[in-house]
Order: sequence, then C-alpha cells, then structure tokens
Amino acid sequence: MSQKKQTKEMLKKTTKEILAQKVEKEGRIPLYNPEALQKIREEMEQWKSTVVREEDRNNWYVTPSTILGSQIPRGMLYTPLDNADLDYLRDLGFSGKEPYTRAIHANLYRGRRFTIRQLAGFGGPEDTNKRIRFLLDHGATGVSIIFDLPTIQEYDSDDPMSKGQVGMCGVAIDCVDDMATLFEEVALDKVTVSLVSHYPTNTAILFPMYLEMASRRGIDWSKLTGSVQNDLILECVVRSAVEYIPPRDCFKIQCDNMEFTRKNVPGWNLVTFNGYNLRENGTSAITEMAVATANAIESLDEMVRRGHDVDWVAERIAFFWSPSNDFFEEAARIRAMRRLWYQIMKHRFDAKNPRALWMRCHVQTSGISLFREEPYNNIVRAAYQGLASVLGGAQSVHIDSYDEAYSVPTEEAALVSLRTQQIIQAETAVTEVVDPLGGSFYVEALTDEIEKRILDEVTEIEEMGGMVSAVEKGWLHKKVAKYAIEEQKSIEEGKITIVGHNYLRASDLELPEINVFRYPEGVEERQQEKLRKLRQKRDSRRVEGCLSQLREACQKGENIVPYCLEAAKADATEGELFQVFKEAFGLWKPPIYW
Amino acid sequence: MTGAEKKIKVLLAKLGLEVHWRGVITVAGMLRDAGMEVIYVGNAFPEQIVKAAIQEDVDVVGISTLGGNHLTQGGELLDIAARSGIKDSTLFLIGGVFPPYDEPRLREIGFDGIFAPGATRGEIVGFIKEAIATRATT
Repeated sequence: MSQKKQTKEMLKKTTKEILAQKVEKEGRIPLYNPEALQKIREEMEQWKSTVVREEDRNNWYVTPSTILGSQIPRGMLYTPLDNADLDYLRDLGFSGKEPYTRAIHANLYRGRRFTIRQLAGFGGPEDTNKRIRFLLDHGATGVSIIFDLPTIQEYDSDDPMSKGQVGMCGVAIDCVDDMATLFEEVALDKVTVSLVSHYPTNTAILFPMYLEMASRRGIDWSKLTGSVQNDLILECVVRSAVEYIPPRDCFKIQCDNMEFTRKNVPGWNLVTFNGYNLRENGTSAITEMAVATANAIESLDEMVRRGHDVDWVAERIAFFWSPSNDFFEEAARIRAMRRLWYQIMKHRFDAKNPRALWMRCHVQTSGISLFREEPYNNIVRAAYQGLASVLGGAQSVHIDSYDEAYSVPTEEAALVSLRTQQIIQAETAVTEVVDPLGGSFYVEALTDEIEKRILDEVTEIEEMGGMVSAVEKGWLHKKVAKYAIEEQKSIEEGKITIVGHNYLRASDLELPEINVFRYPEGVEERQQEKLRKLRQKRDSRRVEGCLSQLREACQKGENIVPYCLEAAKADATEGELFQVFKEAFGLWKPPIYW
Repeated sequence: MTGAEKKIKVLLAKLGLEVHWRGVITVAGMLRDAGMEVIYVGNAFPEQIVKAAIQEDVDVVGISTLGGNHLTQGGELLDIAARSGIKDSTLFLIGGVFPPYDEPRLREIGFDGIFAPGATRGEIVGFIKEAIATRATT
C-alpha cells in the first residue's frame, strides 16, 4: 500500500488506536522473572505491615503540588513491582537506538555537549548585536533572538500602534537592513541561530529577511544552521493580540514555512513545536506535550498530503519544552516524549530515517516559576530545572535569569545563567554518562505514566477533530485560562509552596536593591528614522509589485514564502507584509477565555 | 443604594501590543469570584481604554503589561483619562512586570494601585474594595 493511501486510512483512527494495533505485544521478554517479583511482592507486604508506619501506609500515594505540575500521584518507595512488565530492549534499549528512550545519540553529551543558547533581544538591532557578541565571547554556543512587541505583533516601528513599545521586551526588526545590523560580525556559517519568530505569519516574514541578509553577505543557505518557531498554537492561543488571522490560514502558513525551509535551507529546523509558551501561559506538564504532539501530527499529515516524504520532512522538526520544579518529572517527561514520538513516527507515519524518529528538543527553564522575593533564589530554581533537562537528554538549553520577575535580564544576570550551564557541563560530570536515571524504578514508572497520559490527551484532541479544530472551538483557550486561575489559587492557599514567597517568608522582607536592566534610549526614533530613509531609497514600485503578487498567492492558496522572500529582497517591511495577510485572509476573533 | 452595596464594575485590558494574557485572565477570574462585574476587552490602546471605560461607566480600570510599555503607554492612558474627566472618579490599576525603580514613577503618573508578580487575590480585591469604599464616604 502506498504511504499516502495508508495515511489516509489511518486518519480515521486516533493515534492511540493505531499504536494499540501496531505496537507488537507478543513476544515481550520481561526483565524481572515472575518468581522474583512474587517474592518481592510478599516481602513488600511484610515490610509494609511491620516496618512502615500506619500513617505512611495509608498515605502511600501523594500528589505533589508544584508549579505547572502533572498531578501524577507518587508512591513512597518504588520497586521492580512498579516496572513489573518492563522489557528492557523494547521499552528502553540503548542510547541512539529504538525506541530512543535513553537518548537520541549513542554517546549523547560525550559526542556533542548540549548547546548553550541564551535568549537575547532588546532595543534596536545594534543594541542586541552587542549582547549577542557578549554571550558568544563568554562561551555561548548558539544564539537565540527574541523580538520586540511590534515585531512580534507584526507592525513596523513607525506604525501608530507601535508607539512607546519599540525595542521593548525584544529587539526591533523592520526589514532586511535591521537583520544585517543584528548579525553584524556574527559568523552565521558557524553559530546556530534560533529566531524566536513565534508565529507562522511572522516566521513567513522574518525568516525570508534572514535568508536575504545571508545572501547579501554572500553566505550560502546550505551553510546556515538554526531554527524558527513557526507554531500556530503561539499565534492563535498563547498570544494576546489586536489582530489575528484565522487558525486554518495560520496552519496553512505554518506548513508553507515548513515546506519552503525544507526545500531551500537543508540545515534549518523548519518548525519548533512549542510547548514552552503554552505551559508557561498555564498548563500542565502533560498538556504541554500533548498539544505540541497533536500539532506535529497534524502538520506532518499535511506535509504527506502535499506529497512530501515524511522521512525528509521530519528529520528537521524540533520541540521546545518548559522544565519546571518537579525534578524527576521533568527528566522523565523528556524521556517519555522521546519514546512516544518514536512510536508515532514509526507506526503512524511509517518513518524509516532515524533522524525522523528523534524527538530533538530545546528547553528553557520556567519563567513563571521565578519570584520577586529574594531573587537570588531563582538562580537555584533555574539550575535544578536545567539539570533535570540535561538528565532527560535535552539537545539545547536556556537558563532563565534571576531578575526576570523584574525585567529583561541585565548582562550580569545573563552571565550567571550562562555560567550555570557551563557549571553543569564542566564541573558536575553529569554529562559523562548517558541517561543516568534510566532503570530507576521510580523514573521508569513515571516515564510510563507520563507517556500514557500524553497519548490520552492527544486522543482527546484528535477526537475533537484535531488541533486546529480544538483551537477554533476555544477548547484550548479555556483549558489554559482555567488552569492559570486554579494554579494562582493553589499558590495563594499555600498548596503549592514557594520558598520565600508563601513559605518561610521573611518577616522583614524588603525587595532588594538589585541592579535591574534599563532599556537603551532613543530606539523608537532611530528605527523610525531608518524606516523613513529606507522608504525613500527603495524602489517603491517594485515593493508594490511584490506585495500584490504575495496577495495573489495568499488568495490562490499557493505556498506564500517565495513571495515573502521576493518582498524581503525588495526591502518591504514587516508591517507591509502583515497588512497583505490581513487583507487576504481576513481577521479572526479568538474565543472568549473564561 | 450606597456605593458599598453596588456591584463594582471593572474594565480590564492588555496594554497596547503586549502579548501575555495569563496574568490578566487570572485577575479577571479573581475579581469575578469576588463578586465584581468584569469586562475584559483584550488588547487595547490608551484612547480605546478610556473610551470603553466611559461607555461602560466602570469604577475601576485595570491594565496589564509585561512588555516594558508601562510608562510610555501607561502615561498616555492617564493623560487621556485626565483630559476626559474620569481620572478622579475611576480607580486606575496596573499589573505586570516592571522594574522596582519605575514604581514611584507609575504612582506619579497617576496609577492608584500597582501590582507586581506575586500579588495575591487578597491584595488586589482588598485594595479595590477599600479604595471604592473610601471614595464612597468622601
């Protein structure tokens, strides 16, 4: 049966049903023999009734209350009985080998240390360029760019809506020239660059600008490595905005970006299925991964529908997770997701290429878990979160800075984050051994449970008609809003304990005099002046032509990215392209949140 | 009917282009649970916020931002409010992420209440009720 036909038939079934049907159940070889398990069971009963206190026996399972946690109950002690049917080779295996539970690479961090990728972005492109070079000079091995509010929301710096917000919360980028300034003297053929272009629409605008900048510098696209985010969940659910385009069109643009990037920039990750921002916005450890998985499945279905080989597309997709405070859960989650993704790629998509079977991920420690009181405590929180991610086998890490409950990090705070990662790499020896938690009775039981729960939620979404439908219906918006409200209650009621905030809070607490970041001045005027000059010097007829061709491509349903690239070449601005999208696709009103 | 018995009416908005909605929705939930009438308008610019506040005749305007535009657009909001004559009759609150050194400045430009991350239901609801009650008696 052809891959296409087979996939079409599969669509009638949920991923869970497909896995239930295809994952072989026969011939499992349990690691523990029944006799030993029986003996352990008996001894454990004995131990429970003689050694364990009655109170502990009655409260054997406890559900940890942690920020953004999964609510999975935990036993007091884990034994082989919790992994009674573990088949070592099938369930865990070796690193770099199916089912990739242990790691995607055989030697993991011995072969390649995790990329130290710290976010940077504030002010004008010249300001952020300095921060990028500062981080690279201090040993960062990747760059990650965050854009300012107008750039994220796709308005130019001289748009009336941008007033008072240019260069805030990220870097202001309006056109190819700004991209050039942003990356001046950064070796783009050597450093991997993550463009945190959250949404499909602004990925379709900003990535072509990046590519055109590379061309102008004479860098061949085949030498470029890095990633974009390009995630409709961010555009339609996580973001609060003035103007939205409809989720269906947004999904189509997400797939256009994937297709164009795969064809033209072989070393580039064409989508980063982003759990991070959704979880930070308010959702559990499980939903974060389920939503990203459902989106990934739907996107790959669309790629197959467009006639592409799933092995070719999927080798360049990546995921992005938010590790929070429940240490073992965070490590187990990454392992669980790796195994589940492998199963999905193998059994649902019939992928053969090992790279297409890998769940590769970047993590950023949880911003919502940072508190204002005694801000240096945040260094400790972020370090544990980072460590858990490394024990889970993440490919790339960002550690949040201790001052982020106050503002964008200062250079000093950004350096502590960078150093935290380097200490994990160079001082703790945790990177010498692959998957050090593998085989722990507890971690394996947790990994199984998390995998099961993620798949359950994926099924729930599929039964609603898929991810885009779930977004259109407002299911996800409501779920997230409810979770955020409930979590705030739990913190206020002290169910979730936060040291120094609602637990052991200092009686004489005063907020410290910490050195807080100050935005550079005059950015808005500088950006506006640059735009004024640009609009004067460029060939405006060519810009008009490019924009009208783009409009036509949007209306005809063609892949729009080549047209965005032409517009970038003609020095069209971000706001001009977004205007075309709005006209072509119309505006969407997101569902009511609560 | 006295001011204390009347249902407090609150307008909430994300300021300008700011993107994060978790905080404002959480506060909306808190205020609703505390018996207030909440109107959430999503992203809005100073002029629109003031216009909506007048139209809806609200007691409180709460804006949320984590994006650094608290002084620029926050200042504009209160200027327009003053010009439109609602500044003294309406309680203006701001919540979100801003550096501590900006807090005195936010007060200077006229925000009645400033709520940073970690502000609790008790603090926010208590502040509104007390301020409204004080206004009713003066």
